[in-house]
Amino acid sequence: MTKSQKCYRLAGLIFPAIAVLCALVAAGMMEPYLAFVATSWIIFGLLGLSLDVVWGRGGLLSLGQTAFYGLGGYFGSVVAINMADLFGNSLLVAIPAGAIFGAMAAAVLGYIIFYSRMGLLQSTILSYTFTLLLWSLTQTFKLEVGNAVIGGDNGLSNIPGVVLSIAPNSESLEPNAVFAAVVLVSAAVYYFTYWLMKSNFGKVIDCIRLDVEKTELLGYDVRKYQLLNFAYSGAVAGIAGALFGLWSNYLNPSIFSVQEALLVPIYVLVGGLGTLAGPFVGACLIGGLSFWLGSGSAGGQTTLMLGVVLILLVLFLKNGIIGALNDIWLRFLPDVNEAAKNSSAVRINVAVLEKILQQAEAQAGPAKELKTDKLLKRFGGVIPVNNVSRIFVPGQPYSLIGPNGAGKSSFLKTCVGIYQPDKGEVFIGSDNVAQMSIFHKVQKGMGVKNQKPQVFSELSVIQNLWIAAFSRTRSEQDAQVVSDEIISMLGLNKHSDVQASALSHGQQQWLDIGMVLCLAPRVVLLDEPAAGMTNEETRELSTLVRTLARYTTVVVVEHDMEFIRTLEGHVTVLHQGEVFAEGDIETLRLNERVLDIYLGRSKHV
Amino acid sequence: MELDYLASVLVSSLSSASILLIATIGLAVVFGLMGVINLAHGEFLMIGAYSALTVTQLGLPYVLSIPVAVLVTMAIGAIVEVLIISRLYGRIFDTMLATWGLSMVLYQLAVLIFGTVSPGIGMPQYNIQIGDYNLAGYPLLMIVVAIAMLVFVYLLMTKTIYGMKARASIQEPEMAQAIGIDSTRTNTLTFAVGCGLAGFAGAVLLPIVPATPSMGFAFVIKSFLTVVVAGPVTLTGSALAAIGLGGGSSITASFMTSVAGDVFFFLVTAIILWLYPLGISAKWRHKL
Repeated sequence: MTKSQKCYRLAGLIFPAIAVLCALVAAGMMEPYLAFVATSWIIFGLLGLSLDVVWGRGGLLSLGQTAFYGLGGYFGSVVAINMADLFGNSLLVAIPAGAIFGAMAAAVLGYIIFYSRMGLLQSTILSYTFTLLLWSLTQTFKLEVGNAVIGGDNGLSNIPGVVLSIAPNSESLEPNAVFAAVVLVSAAVYYFTYWLMKSNFGKVIDCIRLDVEKTELLGYDVRKYQLLNFAYSGAVAGIAGALFGLWSNYLNPSIFSVQEALLVPIYVLVGGLGTLAGPFVGACLIGGLSFWLGSGSAGGQTTLMLGVVLILLVLFLKNGIIGALNDIWLRFLPDVNEAAKNSSAVRINVAVLEKILQQAEAQAGPAKELKTDKLLKRFGGVIPVNNVSRIFVPGQPYSLIGPNGAGKSSFLKTCVGIYQPDKGEVFIGSDNVAQMSIFHKVQKGMGVKNQKPQVFSELSVIQNLWIAAFSRTRSEQDAQVVSDEIISMLGLNKHSDVQASALSHGQQQWLDIGMVLCLAPRVVLLDEPAAGMTNEETRELSTLVRTLARYTTVVVVEHDMEFIRTLEGHVTVLHQGEVFAEGDIETLRLNERVLDIYLGRSKHV
Repeated sequence: MELDYLASVLVSSLSSASILLIATIGLAVVFGLMGVINLAHGEFLMIGAYSALTVTQLGLPYVLSIPVAVLVTMAIGAIVEVLIISRLYGRIFDTMLATWGLSMVLYQLAVLIFGTVSPGIGMPQYNIQIGDYNLAGYPLLMIVVAIAMLVFVYLLMTKTIYGMKARASIQEPEMAQAIGIDSTRTNTLTFAVGCGLAGFAGAVLLPIVPATPSMGFAFVIKSFLTVVVAGPVTLTGSALAAIGLGGGSSITASFMTSVAGDVFFFLVTAIILWLYPLGISAKWRHKL
């Protein structure tokens, strides 16, 4: 690895550290007024960081960050006011109070958003509504808590400044020292966030942003991860709010205003979405710009400039300043996707595969049967799955065939839980799983590959496999062992560091299948796995499915009759949501009724 | 007596709901047919209001100012679509942010051109008597206007060739192009129609809501929530959501305070989104 590559990998550690040092040096030399104003920029950057965690990493544009910020600010300030007579250090009092309150508010909102599985747009709007609700409520909200008086639109005053000494009622710091203190607190929060996003938790959060359904199909309880991430972002926003209260010594409902709520995404976009450091760059830049303009002739036109900047950013600089610098830097580094250009066909090594499957059996237990009992799914007047009772056992592959609209994929999706069954039961082994969430079924031993290849585009091939294996093993080393085995079985070793998005369609199919294998599933459901594969690849796939069926229960939905013939398994024909015929493929080929439904004739039906 | 009071509250609430619906329809059309959330919608309302105001100040009758407002907003809408929106199709959050930037620009331009205060135009004077209560006639007329707008948009989308093209280009843009529909141009027109409806709203509401640079802002939040609560069946859904949310908050406001009305609006929105995460019309089979 070259020095430049090393430096690139550690950029998120090195450059912020340099920036913090520069800020501390500047704190000693700035004019007090500038230090005072600049402190607010850092606080806004921290608020932006909280949005970057949910939006840039988690994939949800939350307009509720100012609500957590405001709530954290109010609560932290109320606690700080009341503690001032007992304990001097206002930072140690207000920051935890703000963080806890912000996190709690975010957890409540997040619970509603994630556990009702709300759409992205609706989630954004709900978070926005939450802010608006607080804005209108706080206008008239009056409450006295000990020494603190919350006075509706008169606000909350007499908030102590930033105090470090623990002696009660100590003097608060000078503006320059406040600036330095806020920079240090923000740096601590930034580095903790950086570590969190690099951790296994952060990896799962990244996967959720890239493909939430696939993440759940790997057995991760996505709602829990999303909720925790949201609560964490609420805590960060609450810390920012508490700092803001100490900085301004006064809070009023305008902290919840729409203008404030919509400023936060701008900070994030200017700096760079998902970069964590970006929001600080954005906030300082915009703050600095309006500070500088404020004294000039164009003073009143900040709104105009902000509007133009926002439009231009969205149109031309989607990744913000840090993102653009990142792109430039990447051009000077060797291309990790170079290996994708010279690829060879996948070859399944049966011996290796069997070894892997035997290991999986040893770890995850024997194969389980999949049983459905009078399974029913309806969409309005259409009934794609109509009272289907089937039992699938290990030993031979099962194929589901039928003309378009027969309900094959719907049956599979209803078993998986992508469609919620209206009636009937689904059993994996002896467990009734019909009402379980998808991730829970996966943990029970179900492995699913949907029709389209689902891979995490920004992650490398090995990372894709690792995250799948980690879901089952919950141990970094074990996951590494499993994913190394699978990658060499698929013959993708050379592509280990290639981003999944750079792979060909067929390779993505294989990677997806590999991810399913990493789960050591006891029941495997494959929806048109041969779609988009070459003849050669289809043959390899057939080998894989037949081998797999000796160790697990396998159900395949396919259109490719030649592929089904090579599987030499049991075939079920579905028609209009019901089981129409079954048997082996040769018998069915001679069945006039089956030919009728495929050809649309109505002679025998 | 009590009954008269209730009746007058009910009628005036229905008129508030209609005003909300009038302000919302343009947004609903653009969201429903293009999947675009136009956060600058309120500013188009403002442009419509200022256009109408300028025309009446020139001495022309108020009725004539309405078509002028529609034309001006349609023209600006078309330009905005070509310059900004058309580059961002399929990126709903980016469109939201870009149109929000646009709303800031338009707001600030209005401040520069017209200043922050401008004269209202008098409300046409006629009143309606319900028992002991006198209600101004013009706001009640808005109920009729809202219904007329709904019918107009419904006919435009179902009975005209443009409407069918518009629905085709948004459902299957590639297929629409394959059968010879210029979907780029259709989308430009759809956005312009949405903005035109906003301009119409701004002009027709001018006697009730005086033109100020910040007027759009007051409208857009509630309109926007109405559309999202409505969900995919935009026209019927929006009408229902506007009556429920707008009417409900107006009733709450008349019995309590205007803040309570706002709280009602936002709280009910939050609850509905919780119960119907994809909007109230997500499972309807009817599609307009």
